Amino acid sequence: MKTDLSKLDELNRREFIASAAKACLGVGLLPMAGSYIHNSANALIPGSRPATARYVIYLNMSGAMSHLDTFGTNPDAPDIQGPTKSIPTSADGVFLSENLPETAKHMHNAAIIRTMSTSQGAHEQASYLMHTSYLKRGTIAHPTFGSWVSKLSGNINTTIPMNVQIGANPAGAGFLESKHGPLPIGNPSAGLANSKAADYLDETRFGGRLALAQKMNASYLNQYDQKQVRAYSDLYKDAIKLMRSEDLKAFDITQEPEQMHELYGKSNFGQGCLLARRLIENQVRYVEVSRGGWDTHDNNFEAVANNCMDMDKALSALLLDLEMRGLLKETMVVLTSEFGRTPKINPRDGRDHWPYGFTAFLAGGGVKGGTVYGKMDKVGRNPEEGKFVDPASLNATIAHALGLPLNDVQYSPSGRPFTVAHDGTPLFDVLA
Amino acid sequence: MAGFRIIFFLCSLAASTFFSIGEEPFRIYKTSTGKGFSGKVLGYEGQTFFIQGKDNKIYPISFKQLSSNDQKYLIELASNGKIPKGDLRKLTGSPQSSESSEKIEDPEAGTSSDEIIRPASKPSPKLRPGSFFAYKPVGLGQDPNAAIAEKVGAKLPGPDEPIDFTSHVLPIMEERCFSCHDAPYEKNGRTIHPKAGLRLDSYEWVMKGNLDNTVVEAGNLADSYLYEVVTLDEEDDMFMPPKGGPLSPEQIDILKRWIEEGAKPSAGGANVADMGQGVSFHNHIFPLLEERCLDCHGEPYVKNGRTIHPKAGLRLDTYEWVIKGNLDGTILEKGNPEESTLVAVITLDPDDPEIMPPKGDPLLKEEIEMFKQWIKEGAKENPTDSFEMPKKETVSLVPIHGNNKESLLDQLAKRLNPPSKPQIMAAQKSGALVTPLSVKHSMVRAEFSSGPNLIEDSAIGALSGIKNNISHLDLSRTSITDNVLSEVKKFNNLTWLNLKDTSVSDRGLKNISKMPYLSYINLVSSKVSDASVDTLASIKTLKEVYLWNSDITERGIKRLRGALPDAKILF
Repeated sequence: MKTDLSKLDELNRREFIASAAKACLGVGLLPMAGSYIHNSANALIPGSRPATARYVIYLNMSGAMSHLDTFGTNPDAPDIQGPTKSIPTSADGVFLSENLPETAKHMHNAAIIRTMSTSQGAHEQASYLMHTSYLKRGTIAHPTFGSWVSKLSGNINTTIPMNVQIGANPAGAGFLESKHGPLPIGNPSAGLANSKAADYLDETRFGGRLALAQKMNASYLNQYDQKQVRAYSDLYKDAIKLMRSEDLKAFDITQEPEQMHELYGKSNFGQGCLLARRLIENQVRYVEVSRGGWDTHDNNFEAVANNCMDMDKALSALLLDLEMRGLLKETMVVLTSEFGRTPKINPRDGRDHWPYGFTAFLAGGGVKGGTVYGKMDKVGRNPEEGKFVDPASLNATIAHALGLPLNDVQYSPSGRPFTVAHDGTPLFDVLA
Repeated sequence: MAGFRIIFFLCSLAASTFFSIGEEPFRIYKTSTGKGFSGKVLGYEGQTFFIQGKDNKIYPISFKQLSSNDQKYLIELASNGKIPKGDLRKLTGSPQSSESSEKIEDPEAGTSSDEIIRPASKPSPKLRPGSFFAYKPVGLGQDPNAAIAEKVGAKLPGPDEPIDFTSHVLPIMEERCFSCHDAPYEKNGRTIHPKAGLRLDSYEWVMKGNLDNTVVEAGNLADSYLYEVVTLDEEDDMFMPPKGGPLSPEQIDILKRWIEEGAKPSAGGANVADMGQGVSFHNHIFPLLEERCLDCHGEPYVKNGRTIHPKAGLRLDTYEWVIKGNLDGTILEKGNPEESTLVAVITLDPDDPEIMPPKGDPLLKEEIEMFKQWIKEGAKENPTDSFEMPKKETVSLVPIHGNNKESLLDQLAKRLNPPSKPQIMAAQKSGALVTPLSVKHSMVRAEFSSGPNLIEDSAIGALSGIKNNISHLDLSRTSITDNVLSEVKKFNNLTWLNLKDTSVSDRGLKNISKMPYLSYINLVSSKVSDASVDTLASIKTLKEVYLWNSDITERGIKRLRGALPDAKILF
């Protein structure tokens, strides 16, 4: 089931071990510097109002999806629209690109923000801003949105992490405790790598080794009975608990029947979405699935149509599957990218970077179905209706639906205050 | 809920404007810090309002200290000329100041225009004039105008007039006895108890006496120790009051006559209704509720940053709430006192742990009779209301606006206290994760997120301690059987139930056919079949039913869709 690997940024072994250690075991290379264990009673407070969504599946179209050829078509402006046609959807008066025929059937459960804007025009900085609500700075690593979700919503499942990232290079928990950072999964079909004890290591020998390690640690633990030190050994225990847990099955998509694999499509992204659904069923709070290949400077229309084939299939399958299982009510599915692509079609039939008026697609829990917020003008530069929505406000919108306290301040090790959605304000127009 | 509050406020405003021209009803005034104070407004001057508390004392309260709702209410009254203008303290200090005193007349009585408020008999000269404490509180009865008149002119009863405890006896106690025999109070961090364990601050206490004996024997002057000590020789060790000289002959005469007449409680006081016109909620029932019930059954308030909810989710601070009852049901059956829980709990044996009020003495026979009479007359807010048209209940579970489910949850939550930390810890012993829906929300979600395959039927037991607080119950992927649903059906306020990937079948599902608020049920990959259609169809509140991958057939679904036309049914 190893398909289309080229489209995913596979992790090399060293990267994988480093990030798995960070996520699973809570240890970075410099554990004391990287993890700041913050004593916050708020960690257990789910929010100040009942949440309308509990889980988030964030589909990150890495490389900047062409909004004009997917969720932000503008039939009124043929000059910038190019050959892509619009099709009606299950929501009255809402049109999508012809590249998304299956997703169009779910539009009554979804909302689109068509006036997203970002201040960053380069992939890495813009992606950082989308994920953290803060500009990338040399002096600090901000937590990703998923890490904030993990931090602020308390522990839901005590054995598996609450924040999982499928595909792409994982961003970390920033200055939050490393356990809130995403658990990286490179290849969804492979499940959670390195989570089984080696074949030659039976329970007795494994137990013996653990006991020995504990014995060797004991005097150190006695001498330095500090939170950070305890957290270190607790995370070892958590990892072992996970290894022995039934919850590990959540990561194993081979347990799904063949028709499920077919439904989602056998692309890496489709299988990632299938895994995301399994994880949500197991009450993982935040799953991000990345899909690369959207940086269509050349040959935009063909590339987007190709990308959309498996994206449309996976997204619609995900929405359908969640709906049938009664999970869509509580799961918000978000699909967006770090920015959009130029309305002007370049000489190579491509579209370049364009931070104005790109789209965010939100569906399911907490979302006002069949809504479109905003409309861009004929040149695709300024909003004709509605206002620009910045990444922080998109994150604030999601956080609001999740019932997370937007004003909960977490301090970086140097004492600087940060909140889940920075200065963003929720866009209530798209919330139920 | 805000909408409801405003509507309720308008209703109470409308009611007060309509029914009482001269006398404003008792209501709860709130300060900006959230403290409640019950009283009726008598008048105002400048920014100071004079509010009579339930202890009949008049408190000058600065407009700015009051909550905005109260401010609105008072402005409304003042601008409509419903409350008189003028400083009551000044009025009492200078009866000649007729300019403003005219306004304190009772428009209903019509005859009282000559009666002006005179100074209290012995204003304390030590205090600065105008100080709150300098004002000797007038002992007022249930009608402030009559009471003010009584204070002024009728302090001494006529020779043939029966002695009234509140208006005649209590003022004597207050003047000469309270300094030693009042209710216990805090001073410098210590509780000062009444001397000799004897309290004389209410009828009940006077009649109760102290540990030694009673001090008043009704109709028997010789055995009444109270009378004996005030009539002793002044040099006697036991002579009372020990300071300030003996009681005046008139005062002794009042005590004598009162005891001889049978030491009766006040006839016209707030405790016992003058039922000539029928029992009125505001004049008769509410003062009693306020004195004996509102400590526990009042409006929720904030203390040390925590919201204190009324006990048993029962509020008795307004007519609407009294009629509404709590989650267990209404507390009174209009016209039928015997069937009313309210009457049942106040008439229990005094040793019964369930008796209300749980503290202090049981209600007096007269008071109980008053409740019974009130209910018999139809438990009306005003005696003149017709029984056939009870006041429309403003408290309703039908949400006024907004998202139905959220409003329902909030309304359910309003009637419950949030579970305490130990309660949540106890519930989590089941292996469940129990989290409030939001900060300080009374409703919680219980889910088995960690190792659900290890969860068996026994786990539900630990949750029953907070069963009314659980609105969301997630049993998906657990190893529970049908038996668990016979427990789940007791979770009255459940709105959301997830039984996905369990072995639950028709037999178990039958149990929950009567759940009152259930709106979401997930039976994906369960064992339910067409036999469950009737069960599901009987839960009319259902909005979403998920039946995919269960044993239900297309025919069953068709029948269910017919029975629940508004619900989203997926299979």
